[in-house]
Amino acid sequence: MAERTSAALDSGKTPQQLFAERSKRLQDALELRQPDRIPIVLGFGYMLAEMYGITRQEQTENFGKAQELLERAAQHFQPDSAMGLFNDPAASLALGDRMTRWPGHGLPANGSFQFVEGEYMKPEDYDAFLEDPADWAIRKYWPRVFAELEGLALLPPLGMAALGCYSLVTLGALKAPPVAKALQALGRAIDAQAGADARALESVQRMAALGFAPPPLAGSIVEAPFDFMSDTLRGMRGIMLDIHRRPEKLLAAMEKVLHFQLEYAIAFSRATGLKAAFIPLHRGSDGFMSLAQFEKFYWPTLKALQVGLVENGIMPFVFYEGVWDQRLKYLTELPRGKTAGWFQFSDIFHVKEVVGDTMCIYGGMRNSLLQAGTVDEVRSFTKKLCQVVGKGGGFIMSTGIGEMEGCKPELVEAWVDATHEYGVY
Amino acid sequence: MPSELTTAMADLDEAKVQSLVQAGLAQGVSPAQLLEECREGMTLIGQRFESGEYFLSDLIMASEIFKAAAARLTAQPGAAFSKPKGVIVMGTVKGDIHDIGKDIVVSMLRGAGYQVEDLGVDVPPERFVEAARASGAGIVGLSGLLTISFEPMKETVAALKAAGLPVKVMIGGGPVTERVREYVGADRLGHDAQEAVRICESWAGGKQNG
Repeated sequence: MAERTSAALDSGKTPQQLFAERSKRLQDALELRQPDRIPIVLGFGYMLAEMYGITRQEQTENFGKAQELLERAAQHFQPDSAMGLFNDPAASLALGDRMTRWPGHGLPANGSFQFVEGEYMKPEDYDAFLEDPADWAIRKYWPRVFAELEGLALLPPLGMAALGCYSLVTLGALKAPPVAKALQALGRAIDAQAGADARALESVQRMAALGFAPPPLAGSIVEAPFDFMSDTLRGMRGIMLDIHRRPEKLLAAMEKVLHFQLEYAIAFSRATGLKAAFIPLHRGSDGFMSLAQFEKFYWPTLKALQVGLVENGIMPFVFYEGVWDQRLKYLTELPRGKTAGWFQFSDIFHVKEVVGDTMCIYGGMRNSLLQAGTVDEVRSFTKKLCQVVGKGGGFIMSTGIGEMEGCKPELVEAWVDATHEYGVY
Repeated sequence: MPSELTTAMADLDEAKVQSLVQAGLAQGVSPAQLLEECREGMTLIGQRFESGEYFLSDLIMASEIFKAAAARLTAQPGAAFSKPKGVIVMGTVKGDIHDIGKDIVVSMLRGAGYQVEDLGVDVPPERFVEAARASGAGIVGLSGLLTISFEPMKETVAALKAAGLPVKVMIGGGPVTERVREYVGADRLGHDAQEAVRICESWAGGKQNG
């Protein structure tokens, strides 16, 4: 069996050299330049559990094991960057999170992480949200969605803090058992999340020591203001009714969300030094709303978010979930060379035509081809992606769906090798 | 020439639908007539969805308006309504809690004049069988948005066959394809609510012996 292309291409290089080359390769592509060759990023997800015979629960909860498998897989396939699982359950479990289910927690050991959408914010909550989103979020919303934080409903209005020394008389009430319990649970969640952050950092450092660049989407996570109001607050049904029944309140709420998310992302970038902000999109895809509704409710605040981030030296790394074929023309309004777009099911060749000069394109390979295709089909499609979507640079090869569960290792090998063969500029 | 109520319904003008229903009842128009006008509005909505004028958000709104109007009209004392075109049992299969698509299909089917027994979500095969038997339904509709819904769909189809019920089965939901339909053993696959209505119409109204 001939030596795999990937091994031949980089043979003899030290991890430090590989790290430097791969980081530059990704950065060149992100900034719409033509690198030495097309970079490839592998988001393994649960594929690691499948390949190496452990349960998804173990992959989720045993960091040492999960990291070991990520390293083994990365060294086998030799991409420029690789990711394991996207989410860490530590803080959610500490808080009795009603919005998530994890393998082994509300799901069988080999179930898939689930986000449980619901109408957690009711129509009558809009006024309080608009009046003071933080107060509503902490005293009304957190108690609804986190079982361990129900006691926060007993807090006095947070604005009382502005009474300064005279507000201190309200502190005694925080010792009441339900409140004290909630504050302790919050403390445990803080520790849990700090642990998760430390593990994430350790993973990046270990991967770097092996020569793998960090994933280009690493950074704060913010949402399109419409999705912010929909995903974890009104639910899809709720937000669609809001478009019809209370459009002015929805628009006003999104303005507030835009501003505090920007503040958050800028502070996060300063604190961590990370230069990207990951923005997973949901309801802006074709099919959910008309273009007229998109132009009124979805696009303006999403565009303002991206522009605001760019103005503050941060690159929006946007996951355009579903199909965006009807909406690509709006994306050409974004600042050239300053954003990246990860396209899930859009026609990637049409994407290149329309936004190839505006943003780095991330994605391209269909997960279904890596699950059920043949080596020849994978190689031939990869060649086309390299020649068409890779033309002139500004392209990072990856899968449309972020997690590669169900993908066959031999097809992934064929894909990575073909990318290295056909992706040299 | 569509009536004002039909137009208001089709235009998703919630306030106008409510006031026209109110005014109609006050003037002695029969609830059945008013319901029929709402149904005609739903038919227009279905057409606008097919032509690309209306999208999911509009179907959700349509559902809400129609549900409220229908509830109001069918609650009118002494009201007599025409027999439903047929009886359909609908539900999202076991292990799956997605309901928005199913709810839209239920509304569109009721809008088209069918009696729909909506079993909700996470429905095991036995409940589909029980509901089909009890209601005399000629059609069972299975919804599923997760790939893990294929097995429960297959089990439900098998359970309906084993119970000897002469029902036709249609399936729908994001990942459901022709290959899935074959695997599951269902009779037809619908890609959206409009298709579901057309399928039911083609099955001569879902009567168990028709």
